[in-house]
Amino acid sequence: MSFLGYPRPDGSVGTRNYVLVIPQGLISKSICDFVTGTRTIHTVDHGSGRTANDRERIARVLIGLGRNPNVASVILHAASPGVGYPELRVERLADEITAGGKRVEVLDPVKDGGVYGSITKGMQLARRMVYEASKLRRVDVGDEHLCLGVKCGYSDTTSGIAGNPAIGYLFDKVVKAGGTAFLGETTEIIGAEHFLAKRAANPQVAKAILDAVAHREALAKSTGLDIRTINPIPANIKGGLSSLEEKSLGAVHKAGTSTVQGVLQYGERPKGKGLYFVDCWMGSYSIFAGYAAAGSNLVMFQLGGGGLAGRDLMEGSPSIVAPFLWCTANPRTYEMAKDNIDYYSGTVITDGEDPQEAGERLYRTVIDIASGTLSKSETLTHTDAIDLCLEEPRF
Amino acid sequence: MAAKRALIMHPKDNVATTVEELQPGDQVKTAGGGEARSLSAVEAIPFGFKIALEEIPQGATIVKYGETIGKAGRPIPKGALVHIHNLEGTRARGDLEGREKR
Repeated sequence: MSFLGYPRPDGSVGTRNYVLVIPQGLISKSICDFVTGTRTIHTVDHGSGRTANDRERIARVLIGLGRNPNVASVILHAASPGVGYPELRVERLADEITAGGKRVEVLDPVKDGGVYGSITKGMQLARRMVYEASKLRRVDVGDEHLCLGVKCGYSDTTSGIAGNPAIGYLFDKVVKAGGTAFLGETTEIIGAEHFLAKRAANPQVAKAILDAVAHREALAKSTGLDIRTINPIPANIKGGLSSLEEKSLGAVHKAGTSTVQGVLQYGERPKGKGLYFVDCWMGSYSIFAGYAAAGSNLVMFQLGGGGLAGRDLMEGSPSIVAPFLWCTANPRTYEMAKDNIDYYSGTVITDGEDPQEAGERLYRTVIDIASGTLSKSETLTHTDAIDLCLEEPRF
Repeated sequence: MAAKRALIMHPKDNVATTVEELQPGDQVKTAGGGEARSLSAVEAIPFGFKIALEEIPQGATIVKYGETIGKAGRPIPKGALVHIHNLEGTRARGDLEGREKR
């Protein structure tokens, strides 16, 4: 099987074709407000007072988004010209994004005559770059160029029964075709880590999975709280989930049955293809930015929603450059939020639809959207601010 | 009245997930997890919540997907709702183990 995508110099294939303007801030926002076909990141995590490890996490996200297959070219601006932390210096970001074969232009307020100067120059550059990018045509490529990321959220019991299994089917199919798939949310494999560990590619990967869980569980215990006061979240409990273990056991169904090739840090690009576990927390916005930074060209939110009411309008894409799909298996959620839902598999529960057929329907939906059909969330211009997945205290 | 449906995820499970709203006294027929079983609900159970397939003594393991999802915090009668009021999580219980040294 195949989809229609934009071939990139590094051999990857985009499902979209954006000019990315980063990092966040006045310069980037001004350019993006004026020039169509551009994207930027909305976050307050700029690195000040952060440890080297966390600054590196921020840098990984910025570099990774720049190298994402859905990005045609990149405009960088020097946030703190000449005085920034080494990890986040614009020269470093530019070098690493350029290494991926992409055109990168750098704005520097010191040389451009101030911020006004950089905005003016950036608008002019962005218009030209978007125009150039529009000359690219989609070509027919194999599914090995899909790089998917998934999170399940507002989970309820439909998530484990019919929602995540459909994702698992899709993941198995794409991985079998030579593609790549990410799942994450370390807290939400507590109680189900053995499922993933026994499918690890080698003992080192199995240990990395178990270590990630042990670390996260020790952190949770150090709070002195019952995890159930934090996660499952109230909406999960209202949707019928009774413990973190129950949530986790449902959540791992989205991994399908493929071998786990490795454990990645937030925003880290995998060395090969296949199924990867990303060690990060569940944050609905941060996780998708992390997947996109790792190379995802399409991401999905498997929504339970049994504990939600009145949410007939969902947020726009939090993934910045990767099309974002809402999926649900809860009949009530689907009825409530039809305008937002790209894929529905509650039919497995209510009408006895064969889970495999439901998985095939998801696959066809993904191929359509990868090939250019808009996801429902892409019809909104609104995107929520993203909190990056940073791990260490700030000072 | 026709029996209402609940899904068993694995033959070892001692709970099933309701896929219809249950009222006290409703007859329930299970699907999945081996042979179909019949039981009656002893209380109201909302869509997507769990019903006990057998009597579960206090402290006994509660099993779904063939795996432990917690233990019974009190005795649970057959046909009862299984949720946070009678199911205790067993993982990441900082409240039970106390604060660990950072």
